[in-house]
Amino acid sequence: MGAVEWIRLIAGCAFLAGGIFIFFTELFGLFRFHYVLNRMHAAAMGDTLGIGACLFGLIIFSGFNFTSLKLLLIIIFLWFASPVSSHVLSRLEISTNENLESHCAVYTDLKALEEESDTADMSDSGLQPSEEKGGAV
Amino acid sequence: MIYHYIYVTILIILSVMLFACLIRAVRGPRVADRIVAVNMMGTMVMVIIAVLALMLNEGYLVDVCLIYAMISFLAVVILSKVYIGVYEERLHKTQDPDDNEDQDKGGLSDGSC
Repeated sequence: MGAVEWIRLIAGCAFLAGGIFIFFTELFGLFRFHYVLNRMHAAAMGDTLGIGACLFGLIIFSGFNFTSLKLLLIIIFLWFASPVSSHVLSRLEISTNENLESHCAVYTDLKALEEESDTADMSDSGLQPSEEKGGAV
Repeated sequence: MIYHYIYVTILIILSVMLFACLIRAVRGPRVADRIVAVNMMGTMVMVIIAVLALMLNEGYLVDVCLIYAMISFLAVVILSKVYIGVYEERLHKTQDPDDNEDQDKGGLSDGSC
């Protein structure tokens, strides 16, 4: 193999190893976190970054042809699809969970959140959950 | 030959991760946990199909991968919408059983944007 072949092999392997590492991190977060909104944060990483790195490594292996163009199309499609599916999933969780306040703070309007974060910057106190729920659905 | 070993290694690692993800989908306490785990399994299967397309040198498997991505996205959206609709229908039935006749038809349409 020539020098260009070796460079291609090493670069593709680096991207593939990065993608596998991102997938492993995603799986670790899926078992480590205790609530579904936290798990969703870990799981949304693999949809864009993990599969992006893996498929980019495969593009480098494949060279310049129609197969690599289709792989690029998959990456671009998932860039658009992953935030939408995460949003719909969080809507499902927020609108079907009845005791959401035990897991995270719920604000009915954004003014209260802004005022509270302003005071939290000065007095260095944590955020408190509000009384009502369901405004942000 | 060295490419073949790389592909086989990646396939083995991803298969082990796929089974670990299946455990999360079975154990998940809420519905959203299961849908997140199934979505992640879909992502890993997409990488497996793309690796197989290069390993077997069959270009059409990448088309299968693209269709798989679209169907996986559609499944997540539709499952979420259906569960929101079922939940709200059940909520209306338990809260006010008097005007139950109105809610019988439009149960699923409540969950739309």
